[in-house]
Amino acid sequence: MIKTSQLDSNFKYEIANEPGGENIKRCFNCTGCTVGCPVTEIDKGYNPRKIIRKALLGMRDEVLSDDSIWLCASCYLCYERCPQDVKITEVMGAIRAIAQREAKAGNIKLDNPKPLFDNLFINSVRKNGKWHEAGVSGMFTLKTKGIKGLIDYIPMGLELFRKGKVSILPHKIKGKDQIKRIFEEVER
Amino acid sequence: MKLAYYPGCTLHGTAREYDASTKAVCKASNIELTEIEDWNCCGALEAIFDKELSMGLSARNNMLAQRTGLDLVIPCSICSHNLSRADMAMRNDESFRAKMEKALGERYRGIRVRHLLDILVNDVGIDTLSSKFIKPLKGIKAVPYYGCLLVRPSEVGRFDNPENPTSLDNLIRAAGAECLPFTQKTKCCGGNLLMSKQDYAFIFTKKLFDEAKAAGADCIVVACPMCHMLLDGQQSMVEEAHNTVIGMPVLYFTQLIGLAMGLSEKELELDKNMVSPARLLDLIIEGGKE
Repeated sequence: MIKTSQLDSNFKYEIANEPGGENIKRCFNCTGCTVGCPVTEIDKGYNPRKIIRKALLGMRDEVLSDDSIWLCASCYLCYERCPQDVKITEVMGAIRAIAQREAKAGNIKLDNPKPLFDNLFINSVRKNGKWHEAGVSGMFTLKTKGIKGLIDYIPMGLELFRKGKVSILPHKIKGKDQIKRIFEEVER
Repeated sequence: MKLAYYPGCTLHGTAREYDASTKAVCKASNIELTEIEDWNCCGALEAIFDKELSMGLSARNNMLAQRTGLDLVIPCSICSHNLSRADMAMRNDESFRAKMEKALGERYRGIRVRHLLDILVNDVGIDTLSSKFIKPLKGIKAVPYYGCLLVRPSEVGRFDNPENPTSLDNLIRAAGAECLPFTQKTKCCGGNLLMSKQDYAFIFTKKLFDEAKAAGADCIVVACPMCHMLLDGQQSMVEEAHNTVIGMPVLYFTQLIGLAMGLSEKELELDKNMVSPARLLDLIIEGGKE
Protein backbone atom coordinates (compact mmCIF):
# COMPACT_ATOMS: atom_id res chain seq x y z
CA MET A 1 0.00 0.00 0.00
CA ILE A 2 1.22 3.49 -0.84
CA LYS A 3 1.06 6.01 1.96
CA THR A 4 0.81 9.45 0.39
CA SER A 5 2.20 11.06 3.54
CA GLN A 6 5.47 9.21 2.96
CA LEU A 7 5.89 10.22 -0.68
CA ASP A 8 8.63 12.61 -1.70
CA SER A 9 7.14 14.63 -4.53
CA ASN A 10 10.54 16.19 -5.17
CA PHE A 11 12.17 12.86 -6.09
CA LYS A 12 11.39 13.08 -9.81
CA TYR A 13 13.03 16.49 -9.99
CA GLU A 14 16.02 15.15 -8.09
CA ILE A 15 16.40 12.41 -10.73
CA ALA A 16 15.82 14.85 -13.59
CA ASN A 17 18.69 16.96 -12.24
CA GLU A 18 21.17 14.08 -12.57
CA PRO A 19 23.00 13.59 -15.88
CA GLY A 20 20.91 11.06 -17.84
CA GLY A 21 17.79 11.47 -15.70
CA GLU A 22 16.42 14.52 -17.55
CA ASN A 23 13.57 12.76 -19.40
CA ILE A 24 12.04 10.71 -16.57
CA LYS A 25 8.88 12.83 -16.40
CA ARG A 26 8.02 11.93 -20.00
CA CYS A 27 7.16 8.34 -19.04
CA PHE A 28 3.49 7.46 -19.66
CA ASN A 29 3.86 4.02 -18.15
CA CYS A 30 3.30 1.98 -21.33
CA THR A 31 5.44 -1.04 -20.23
CA GLY A 32 7.34 -1.14 -23.54
CA CYS A 33 10.60 -1.13 -21.56
CA THR A 34 9.63 -4.14 -19.52
CA VAL A 35 8.15 -6.47 -22.13
CA GLY A 36 11.40 -6.67 -24.06
CA CYS A 37 13.80 -6.56 -21.11
CA PRO A 38 16.17 -9.57 -21.02
CA VAL A 39 16.52 -9.30 -17.23
CA THR A 40 12.74 -9.35 -16.73
CA GLU A 41 12.66 -12.47 -18.92
CA ILE A 42 14.60 -14.40 -16.28
CA ASP A 43 13.57 -12.46 -13.16
CA LYS A 44 9.91 -11.42 -12.95
CA GLY A 45 10.80 -9.29 -9.92
CA TYR A 46 12.72 -6.94 -12.19
CA ASN A 47 10.33 -4.39 -13.62
CA PRO A 48 11.75 -1.14 -15.01
CA ARG A 49 8.24 0.25 -15.58
CA LYS A 50 7.50 -0.13 -11.87
CA ILE A 51 10.81 1.42 -10.84
CA ILE A 52 10.05 4.50 -12.94
CA ARG A 53 6.41 4.65 -11.80
CA LYS A 54 7.47 4.48 -8.16
CA ALA A 55 10.10 7.16 -8.76
CA LEU A 56 7.49 9.44 -10.37
CA LEU A 57 5.11 8.87 -7.45
CA GLY A 58 7.89 9.86 -5.06
CA MET A 59 8.58 6.52 -3.37
CA ARG A 60 12.15 7.62 -2.81
CA ASP A 61 13.31 5.28 -0.04
CA GLU A 62 11.73 2.24 -1.65
CA VAL A 63 13.32 2.92 -5.03
CA LEU A 64 16.79 3.76 -3.72
CA SER A 65 17.05 0.72 -1.48
CA ASP A 66 15.55 -1.65 -4.09
CA ASP A 67 18.22 -4.18 -5.09
CA SER A 68 16.73 -4.41 -8.57
CA ILE A 69 18.02 -0.96 -9.61
CA TRP A 70 21.41 -2.73 -9.83
CA LEU A 71 20.17 -5.43 -12.22
CA CYS A 72 19.93 -3.39 -15.43
CA ALA A 73 22.39 -4.95 -17.88
CA SER A 74 22.72 -1.72 -19.93
CA CYS A 75 21.61 -3.49 -23.12
CA TYR A 76 19.75 -0.33 -24.24
CA LEU A 77 16.79 -2.26 -25.68
CA CYS A 78 14.27 -0.21 -23.66
CA TYR A 79 16.19 2.96 -24.48
CA GLU A 80 15.86 2.14 -28.17
CA ARG A 81 12.19 1.22 -28.07
CA CYS A 82 10.78 3.76 -25.61
CA PRO A 83 8.13 5.84 -27.46
CA GLN A 84 8.68 8.77 -25.11
CA ASP A 85 12.49 8.82 -25.28
CA VAL A 86 12.74 8.50 -21.51
CA LYS A 87 16.29 7.13 -21.93
CA ILE A 88 15.58 4.48 -19.31
CA THR A 89 19.10 3.04 -19.18
CA GLU A 90 20.42 6.47 -18.31
CA VAL A 91 17.57 7.13 -15.87
CA MET A 92 18.70 3.95 -14.09
CA GLY A 93 22.18 5.51 -13.92
CA ALA A 94 20.74 8.69 -12.41
CA ILE A 95 18.87 6.67 -9.75
CA ARG A 96 22.04 4.66 -9.01
CA ALA A 97 24.02 7.87 -8.53
CA ILE A 98 21.54 9.14 -5.93
CA ALA A 99 21.51 5.73 -4.21
CA GLN A 100 25.31 5.73 -4.02
CA ARG A 101 25.34 9.20 -2.45
CA GLU A 102 22.73 8.16 0.12
CA ALA A 103 24.74 5.05 0.94
CA LYS A 104 27.91 7.12 1.32
CA ALA A 105 26.05 9.43 3.72
CA GLY A 106 25.00 6.37 5.73
CA ASN A 107 21.28 6.79 5.01
CA ILE A 108 20.76 3.49 3.19
CA LYS A 109 22.66 0.24 2.87
CA LEU A 110 23.47 -1.25 -0.53
CA ASP A 111 23.74 -5.03 -0.61
CA ASN A 112 24.35 -5.48 -4.32
CA PRO A 113 28.05 -5.92 -5.22
CA LYS A 114 27.72 -3.96 -8.48
CA PRO A 115 28.63 -0.53 -7.06
CA LEU A 116 31.65 -2.06 -5.33
CA PHE A 117 33.03 -3.43 -8.60
CA ASP A 118 32.26 -0.24 -10.52
CA ASN A 119 33.99 1.89 -7.89
CA LEU A 120 37.09 -0.33 -7.78
CA PHE A 121 37.22 -0.08 -11.58
CA ILE A 122 36.69 3.68 -11.67
CA ASN A 123 39.30 4.27 -8.96
CA SER A 124 41.78 2.24 -10.96
CA VAL A 125 41.13 4.50 -13.96
CA ARG A 126 41.36 7.57 -11.72
CA LYS A 127 44.79 6.42 -10.55
CA ASN A 128 46.34 5.07 -13.76
CA GLY A 129 44.22 6.33 -16.67
CA LYS A 130 43.51 2.71 -17.58
CA TRP A 131 41.92 -0.06 -15.58
CA HIS A 132 44.10 -2.73 -14.06
CA GLU A 133 42.18 -5.91 -14.71
CA ALA A 134 44.11 -8.29 -12.47
CA GLY A 135 44.15 -5.83 -9.57
CA VAL A 136 40.50 -4.80 -9.78
CA SER A 137 39.09 -8.28 -10.39
CA GLY A 138 41.36 -9.75 -7.70
CA MET A 139 40.34 -7.17 -5.10
CA PHE A 140 36.64 -7.54 -5.95
CA THR A 141 36.80 -11.34 -5.71
CA LEU A 142 38.64 -11.10 -2.40
CA LYS A 143 36.09 -8.66 -0.97
CA THR A 144 33.02 -10.58 -2.13
CA LYS A 145 34.14 -14.23 -2.02
CA GLY A 146 37.14 -14.18 0.29
CA ILE A 147 40.43 -16.04 -0.08
CA LYS A 148 38.65 -19.18 -1.28
CA GLY A 149 37.02 -17.27 -4.14
CA LEU A 150 40.41 -15.94 -5.14
CA ILE A 151 41.94 -19.42 -5.06
CA ASP A 152 39.08 -20.78 -7.19
CA TYR A 153 39.96 -18.22 -9.82
CA ILE A 154 43.64 -19.20 -10.04
CA PRO A 155 43.33 -21.77 -12.91
CA MET A 156 41.50 -19.26 -15.14
CA GLY A 157 43.96 -16.51 -14.15
CA LEU A 158 46.95 -18.71 -15.01
CA GLU A 159 45.47 -19.62 -18.39
CA LEU A 160 44.92 -15.94 -19.18
CA PHE A 161 48.47 -15.16 -18.07
CA ARG A 162 49.88 -18.00 -20.17
CA LYS A 163 48.12 -16.59 -23.22
CA GLY A 164 49.51 -13.13 -22.50
CA LYS A 165 46.07 -11.71 -21.77
CA VAL A 166 46.62 -10.20 -18.33
CA SER A 167 49.44 -8.14 -16.92
CA ILE A 168 50.51 -8.27 -13.31
CA LEU A 169 51.33 -4.55 -13.15
CA PRO A 170 48.97 -1.71 -14.12
CA HIS A 171 49.54 0.29 -17.32
CA LYS A 172 49.84 3.98 -16.58
CA ILE A 173 49.23 6.80 -19.01
CA LYS A 174 51.25 10.04 -19.14
CA GLY A 175 48.29 12.41 -19.02
CA LYS A 176 47.19 11.53 -15.50
CA ASP A 177 46.86 15.21 -14.59
CA GLN A 178 44.19 15.56 -17.29
CA ILE A 179 42.35 12.52 -15.91
CA LYS A 180 42.46 14.15 -12.48
CA ARG A 181 40.96 17.36 -13.88
CA ILE A 182 38.21 15.42 -15.69
CA PHE A 183 37.23 13.79 -12.40
CA GLU A 184 37.28 17.19 -10.66
CA GLU A 185 35.02 18.72 -13.32
CA VAL A 186 32.41 15.94 -13.30
CA GLU A 187 32.42 15.53 -9.53
CA ARG A 188 32.03 19.25 -8.90
CA MET B 1 42.60 4.89 -46.30
CA LYS B 2 44.15 6.39 -43.16
CA LEU B 3 42.42 6.19 -39.78
CA ALA B 4 43.21 7.00 -36.17
CA TYR B 5 42.97 3.89 -34.02
CA TYR B 6 41.65 3.51 -30.47
CA PRO B 7 42.12 -0.08 -29.30
CA GLY B 8 40.76 0.36 -25.75
CA CYS B 9 41.97 -1.54 -22.69
CA THR B 10 40.68 -5.02 -23.54
CA LEU B 11 42.43 -5.13 -26.92
CA HIS B 12 45.70 -4.75 -25.03
CA GLY B 13 44.66 -7.52 -22.64
CA THR B 14 42.05 -10.24 -22.75
CA ALA B 15 41.05 -9.35 -26.31
CA ARG B 16 44.57 -9.23 -27.76
CA GLU B 17 43.53 -11.50 -30.65
CA TYR B 18 41.00 -8.84 -31.68
CA ASP B 19 43.80 -6.26 -31.77
CA ALA B 20 46.09 -8.55 -33.79
CA SER B 21 43.38 -9.59 -36.25
CA THR B 22 42.14 -5.99 -36.61
CA LYS B 23 45.64 -4.85 -37.56
CA ALA B 24 46.14 -7.78 -39.97
CA VAL B 25 42.77 -7.32 -41.70
CA CYS B 26 43.18 -3.54 -41.96
CA LYS B 27 46.64 -3.97 -43.50
CA ALA B 28 45.23 -6.40 -46.04
CA SER B 29 42.41 -3.92 -46.78
CA ASN B 30 44.85 -1.02 -47.38
CA ILE B 31 43.83 0.78 -44.20
CA GLU B 32 46.66 2.50 -42.37
CA LEU B 33 46.00 2.67 -38.63
CA THR B 34 47.67 5.22 -36.37
CA GLU B 35 47.10 4.43 -32.72
CA ILE B 36 46.28 7.63 -30.84
CA GLU B 37 48.95 8.54 -28.34
CA ASP B 38 48.54 8.09 -24.61
CA TRP B 39 44.85 7.15 -24.78
CA ASN B 40 42.96 6.31 -21.58
CA CYS B 41 40.14 3.98 -20.57
CA CYS B 42 36.71 5.11 -21.82
CA GLY B 43 35.08 4.11 -18.52
CA ALA B 44 33.73 0.93 -20.13
CA LEU B 45 30.57 -0.62 -18.72
CA GLU B 46 31.61 0.34 -15.20
CA ALA B 47 31.11 4.06 -15.81
CA ILE B 48 28.39 3.74 -18.45
CA PHE B 49 25.72 4.53 -15.82
CA ASP B 50 27.79 7.49 -14.62
CA LYS B 51 27.05 9.43 -17.79
CA GLU B 52 29.16 12.51 -17.21
CA LEU B 53 32.23 10.61 -16.05
CA SER B 54 31.96 8.18 -18.95
CA MET B 55 31.67 11.05 -21.42
CA GLY B 56 34.47 12.98 -19.71
CA LEU B 57 36.93 10.09 -19.89
CA SER B 58 35.92 9.46 -23.50
CA ALA B 59 36.20 13.16 -24.40
CA ARG B 60 39.95 13.09 -23.72
CA ASN B 61 40.39 10.31 -26.28
CA ASN B 62 38.32 12.22 -28.83
CA MET B 63 40.51 15.26 -28.23
CA LEU B 64 43.64 13.15 -28.84
CA ALA B 65 42.10 11.73 -32.01
CA GLN B 66 41.25 15.24 -33.21
CA ARG B 67 44.96 16.09 -33.27
CA THR B 68 45.53 13.43 -35.96
CA GLY B 69 42.97 15.04 -38.29
CA LEU B 70 41.70 11.55 -39.12
CA ASP B 71 38.45 9.70 -38.49
CA LEU B 72 38.68 7.41 -35.46
CA VAL B 73 38.09 3.68 -35.78
CA ILE B 74 37.25 1.51 -32.77
CA PRO B 75 36.80 -2.28 -32.78
CA CYS B 76 35.15 -2.46 -29.32
CA SER B 77 31.39 -1.83 -29.25
CA ILE B 78 31.52 -0.40 -25.73
CA CYS B 79 34.38 2.03 -26.38
CA SER B 80 32.76 2.96 -29.69
CA HIS B 81 29.46 3.74 -27.96
CA ASN B 82 31.14 5.72 -25.18
CA LEU B 83 33.34 7.82 -27.46
CA SER B 84 30.45 8.47 -29.89
CA ARG B 85 28.18 9.53 -27.03
CA ALA B 86 30.90 11.88 -25.75
CA ASP B 87 31.41 13.37 -29.21
CA MET B 88 27.67 14.02 -29.48
CA ALA B 89 27.58 15.72 -26.09
CA MET B 90 30.69 17.78 -26.85
CA ARG B 91 29.00 19.06 -30.03
CA ASN B 92 25.52 19.67 -28.58
CA ASP B 93 25.90 20.43 -24.87
CA GLU B 94 27.75 23.70 -24.41
CA SER B 95 28.17 23.48 -20.66
CA PHE B 96 29.64 19.98 -20.89
CA ARG B 97 31.98 21.06 -23.68
CA ALA B 98 33.11 24.07 -21.64
CA LYS B 99 33.92 21.84 -18.67
CA MET B 100 35.94 19.40 -20.77
CA GLU B 101 37.77 22.08 -22.73
CA LYS B 102 38.76 23.57 -19.40
CA ALA B 103 39.94 20.23 -18.02
CA LEU B 104 41.86 19.37 -21.17
CA GLY B 105 43.10 22.84 -22.13
CA GLU B 106 42.10 22.44 -25.76
CA ARG B 107 39.24 23.39 -28.11
CA TYR B 108 37.02 20.64 -29.51
CA ARG B 109 35.69 20.84 -33.05
CA GLY B 110 34.31 17.30 -33.34
CA ILE B 111 35.57 14.09 -34.89
CA ARG B 112 33.96 11.10 -36.59
CA VAL B 113 33.91 7.99 -34.41
CA ARG B 114 33.33 4.77 -36.32
CA HIS B 115 33.08 1.11 -35.40
CA LEU B 116 35.47 -1.12 -37.33
CA LEU B 117 32.61 -3.19 -38.75
CA ASP B 118 31.04 -0.02 -40.15
CA ILE B 119 34.32 0.99 -41.83
CA LEU B 120 34.87 -2.41 -43.41
CA VAL B 121 31.31 -2.96 -44.62
CA ASN B 122 30.42 0.59 -45.66
CA ASP B 123 33.69 2.32 -46.55
CA VAL B 124 35.90 -0.47 -47.86
CA GLY B 125 32.74 -2.24 -49.01
CA ILE B 126 31.68 -5.84 -49.41
CA ASP B 127 32.64 -5.88 -53.12
CA THR B 128 36.21 -4.78 -52.52
CA LEU B 129 36.56 -7.15 -49.59
CA SER B 130 35.14 -10.04 -51.64
CA SER B 131 37.97 -9.63 -54.13
CA LYS B 132 40.39 -10.18 -51.23
CA PHE B 133 38.65 -13.31 -49.96
CA ILE B 134 40.96 -15.72 -51.79
CA LYS B 135 40.25 -18.61 -49.42
CA PRO B 136 36.45 -18.78 -49.03
CA LEU B 137 35.29 -20.45 -45.84
CA LYS B 138 33.14 -23.04 -47.55
CA GLY B 139 31.94 -25.69 -45.10
CA ILE B 140 31.53 -23.36 -42.10
CA LYS B 141 28.10 -22.51 -40.74
CA ALA B 142 28.13 -19.36 -38.62
CA VAL B 143 25.67 -17.25 -36.68
CA PRO B 144 26.24 -13.48 -36.50
CA TYR B 145 26.05 -12.04 -33.00
CA TYR B 146 25.78 -8.25 -32.77
CA GLY B 147 24.95 -7.94 -29.08
CA CYS B 148 23.84 -4.58 -27.71
CA LEU B 149 26.03 -1.54 -28.07
CA LEU B 150 27.11 -2.19 -31.66
CA VAL B 151 23.61 -1.29 -32.85
CA ARG B 152 21.93 0.35 -29.84
CA PRO B 153 21.11 3.05 -29.04
CA SER B 154 20.77 3.93 -32.73
CA GLU B 155 20.95 7.68 -32.03
CA VAL B 156 24.64 7.10 -31.27
CA GLY B 157 26.84 6.06 -34.18
CA ARG B 158 24.08 4.49 -36.23
CA PHE B 159 25.15 2.35 -39.21
CA ASP B 160 22.78 -0.61 -39.16
CA ASN B 161 19.20 -1.48 -38.29
CA PRO B 162 18.91 -1.68 -34.48
CA GLU B 163 16.21 -4.40 -34.54
CA ASN B 164 17.52 -6.51 -37.41
CA PRO B 165 21.09 -5.59 -38.36
CA THR B 166 22.59 -7.31 -41.41
CA SER B 167 26.12 -5.94 -41.93
CA LEU B 168 27.78 -8.86 -40.17
CA ASP B 169 25.50 -11.34 -41.98
CA ASN B 170 26.61 -9.91 -45.32
CA LEU B 171 30.27 -10.03 -44.36
CA ILE B 172 30.06 -13.68 -43.25
CA ARG B 173 28.38 -14.63 -46.54
CA ALA B 174 30.93 -12.70 -48.57
CA ALA B 175 33.68 -14.64 -46.78
CA GLY B 176 32.16 -17.83 -48.18
CA ALA B 177 30.71 -19.21 -44.95
CA GLU B 178 27.05 -20.06 -44.55
CA CYS B 179 25.30 -17.43 -42.42
CA LEU B 180 22.40 -18.92 -40.48
CA PRO B 181 19.40 -16.97 -39.18
CA PHE B 182 19.96 -16.24 -35.48
CA THR B 183 17.05 -15.27 -33.24
CA GLN B 184 19.47 -13.94 -30.60
CA LYS B 185 21.52 -11.67 -32.82
CA THR B 186 20.84 -8.52 -30.83
CA LYS B 187 20.16 -10.09 -27.42
CA CYS B 188 22.33 -9.18 -24.46
CA CYS B 189 25.26 -11.45 -23.46
CA GLY B 190 24.92 -10.37 -19.82
CA GLY B 191 28.36 -8.77 -19.81
CA ASN B 192 27.53 -5.98 -17.39
CA LEU B 193 26.26 -8.52 -14.83
CA LEU B 194 29.27 -10.85 -15.06
CA MET B 195 30.89 -9.66 -11.84
CA SER B 196 27.83 -8.70 -9.77
CA LYS B 197 25.19 -11.26 -10.83
CA GLN B 198 27.04 -14.08 -12.51
CA ASP B 199 24.17 -16.57 -12.41
CA TYR B 200 22.00 -14.19 -14.46
CA ALA B 201 24.83 -13.42 -16.88
CA PHE B 202 25.35 -17.12 -17.49
CA ILE B 203 21.63 -17.70 -18.14
CA PHE B 204 21.84 -15.01 -20.85
CA THR B 205 24.96 -16.61 -22.33
CA LYS B 206 23.61 -20.15 -22.13
CA LYS B 207 20.53 -19.06 -24.10
CA LEU B 208 22.77 -17.72 -26.87
CA PHE B 209 24.62 -21.04 -27.09
CA ASP B 210 21.38 -23.04 -27.06
CA GLU B 211 19.90 -21.01 -29.90
CA ALA B 212 23.16 -21.03 -31.89
CA LYS B 213 23.26 -24.82 -31.61
CA ALA B 214 19.59 -25.15 -32.49
CA ALA B 215 20.29 -23.11 -35.62
CA GLY B 216 23.04 -25.59 -36.51
CA ALA B 217 25.99 -23.24 -36.08
CA ASP B 218 29.62 -24.36 -36.01
CA CYS B 219 30.69 -21.03 -34.57
CA ILE B 220 29.48 -17.66 -33.32
CA VAL B 221 30.93 -14.52 -34.89
CA VAL B 222 31.22 -11.40 -32.72
CA ALA B 223 32.33 -7.77 -33.01
CA CYS B 224 32.76 -6.87 -29.34
CA PRO B 225 35.36 -7.95 -26.74
CA MET B 226 32.74 -8.08 -23.97
CA CYS B 227 30.53 -10.47 -25.94
CA HIS B 228 33.67 -12.50 -26.65
CA MET B 229 34.63 -12.48 -22.98
CA LEU B 230 31.27 -14.03 -22.07
CA LEU B 231 30.96 -16.44 -24.98
CA ASP B 232 34.59 -17.53 -25.31
CA GLY B 233 36.40 -16.51 -22.11
CA GLN B 234 33.65 -17.66 -19.75
CA GLN B 235 32.38 -20.61 -21.80
CA SER B 236 34.04 -23.18 -19.52
CA MET B 237 32.45 -21.45 -16.51
CA VAL B 238 29.02 -21.52 -18.17
CA GLU B 239 29.54 -25.24 -18.85
CA GLU B 240 30.39 -25.78 -15.20
CA ALA B 241 27.49 -23.68 -13.88
CA HIS B 242 24.94 -25.41 -16.12
CA ASN B 243 26.56 -28.84 -15.97
CA THR B 244 26.74 -29.18 -19.73
CA VAL B 245 29.17 -29.33 -22.63
CA ILE B 246 29.08 -26.46 -25.12
CA GLY B 247 32.33 -26.56 -27.13
CA MET B 248 31.37 -23.65 -29.39
CA PRO B 249 34.20 -21.71 -31.06
CA VAL B 250 33.64 -17.95 -30.96
CA LEU B 251 35.56 -15.86 -33.48
CA TYR B 252 35.99 -12.14 -33.83
CA PHE B 253 34.69 -11.16 -37.26
CA THR B 254 38.21 -9.98 -38.07
CA GLN B 255 39.54 -13.49 -37.39
CA LEU B 256 36.86 -14.98 -39.64
CA ILE B 257 37.41 -12.67 -42.61
CA GLY B 258 41.17 -12.80 -42.01
CA LEU B 259 41.04 -16.54 -42.67
CA ALA B 260 39.16 -15.88 -45.90
CA MET B 261 41.86 -13.38 -46.84
CA GLY B 262 44.41 -16.15 -46.46
CA LEU B 263 46.05 -14.60 -43.41
CA SER B 264 47.86 -17.01 -41.11
CA GLU B 265 46.41 -18.40 -37.90
CA LYS B 266 49.37 -16.84 -36.13
CA GLU B 267 48.69 -13.34 -37.49
CA LEU B 268 45.06 -13.69 -36.41
CA GLU B 269 46.14 -15.11 -33.03
CA LEU B 270 43.66 -17.95 -33.23
CA ASP B 271 45.69 -19.69 -30.51
CA LYS B 272 44.66 -16.96 -28.05
CA ASN B 273 40.94 -17.81 -28.08
CA MET B 274 40.04 -19.75 -24.95
CA VAL B 275 37.89 -22.23 -26.90
CA SER B 276 40.09 -23.77 -29.56
CA PRO B 277 38.83 -23.16 -33.11
CA ALA B 278 40.84 -26.16 -34.40
CA ARG B 279 37.78 -28.29 -35.20
CA LEU B 280 36.16 -25.35 -36.94
CA LEU B 281 39.16 -24.91 -39.20
CA ASP B 282 38.97 -28.60 -40.14
CA LEU B 283 35.49 -27.98 -41.55
CA ILE B 284 36.76 -25.59 -44.22
CA ILE B 285 36.62 -27.26 -47.63
CA GLU B 286 39.89 -26.37 -49.37
CA GLY B 287 39.68 -24.80 -52.81
CA GLY B 288 36.06 -24.03 -52.10
CA LYS B 289 35.77 -21.10 -54.53
CA GLU B 290 33.58 -22.52 -57.24
